[in-house]
Amino acid sequence: MRLTAGFAVAFAETRLAQCARLNEELEALFLARESEEHRNPTPTHVPQAEMFESRFNLFLWPEACIQELRAFMLGAVAQTVGEVAELSPAQLSRLQVHNHTWFHVTRYAGSFVAHNHPLASWSAVYCVRAGERLPDRPDSGVLRFLDPRVGADAYLDVANRRLKPAFALGTRELRLEEGQLVVFPSYAFHEVSPFYGRDTRITVATNCWFT
Amino acid sequence: MITVNLVPIFATPFAVVDLPQLAALNAPLAARLTAQATPEQADPAFRPDPLCFRSRETLLESREPLLAEVFQGLIAGLCEAVMETNVMKREEFVELSMQARSRFTIVRPDGALPAATAPLASWYGLYCVATPPPSPTRADSALLRLYAVRGAQTFIDAASFRMREPYSGSHYTWRPVAGQMAVFPGSMLHEVAMNRSDTDLILIAMRARFAHGEQLGLPGW
Repeated sequence: MRLTAGFAVAFAETRLAQCARLNEELEALFLARESEEHRNPTPTHVPQAEMFESRFNLFLWPEACIQELRAFMLGAVAQTVGEVAELSPAQLSRLQVHNHTWFHVTRYAGSFVAHNHPLASWSAVYCVRAGERLPDRPDSGVLRFLDPRVGADAYLDVANRRLKPAFALGTRELRLEEGQLVVFPSYAFHEVSPFYGRDTRITVATNCWFT
Repeated sequence: MITVNLVPIFATPFAVVDLPQLAALNAPLAARLTAQATPEQADPAFRPDPLCFRSRETLLESREPLLAEVFQGLIAGLCEAVMETNVMKREEFVELSMQARSRFTIVRPDGALPAATAPLASWYGLYCVATPPPSPTRADSALLRLYAVRGAQTFIDAASFRMREPYSGSHYTWRPVAGQMAVFPGSMLHEVAMNRSDTDLILIAMRARFAHGEQLGLPGW
């Protein structure tokens, strides 16, 4: 018998080695620009006082730390595309990647409702600062992906309730760590659960589309 | 002259059932449930959460008169809602056997209930025992939010971004009202948004399914 993961969703994960210096610079820059001038003027969801969302032009900022992050994030997205798309290296090299990129600063009780990213093919989230870890709240500030197989858990019995990880039903949660980057299809619905740390959780997100 | 016949196909039923006869029981019911929110009664499958208590799904097994009266009303209300959505006649519906499981949830200040569906059930009832006052600054405080997870939302343009109800692709929200029960399909992914008030939201949830007398194939809960 041959078992395959039909209808699989591609998730890529990587880490930026020795990220401390870059993250310090990014954090300082983001906190300094947590202002009305840089706030997203057209949020798609009801804004929360506990979460600052920047404009979507982050990778146009000229600061060296931003451009360093840009190279890392877009490079990882491109590498993901190269892994999963049936494109030759020559075809890949001719692609032009476009992006909307922004940062979030989340404080106590901040969250982000479930959403996906229309008009993009690949999205990625980079963790600048994970925020306080709370032993009694392991779900604080997790990045939670919803199972795209809607209705798959409607009928459960002992033969499908505990499937192996590749096939398991239900949400997937990622407790991001500093320097960690995840890449996922933009159609995948995801949310950020309430963050209960007493400090800040800082992430950078990008939506990419290719021509 | 162009005539357009617009029809909302693939609609999702969402009923709000008024249960005024139960509203009078809410105060003792809230006290009863709050007293029962102990570690021993907590759902072992639910991650321990100091800001949100979810009980075991055994509430219907109680023989207490108070709970018996409450569930008599909840089951009657849920059945009325289900009948409203069905083409079967009332005399056919009453021949069905109903199976249900129930638990209660207390969403405390700053607590939230993560999104979930109700497996192995066709219908889900969510009765509000106690509700915090609306937050003047946070419209989504303690709302029930039903997720609109539709593939079509991945392509949006200027002509599909702001469609009117019932065609909007936005999540649907309902503010729980003490004495009211929301009824919707068990397959709907739903959550309770963070309670931004300083008082508890207390809910009774009921998974329900119906069967013909000779129907097979429903696994145990």
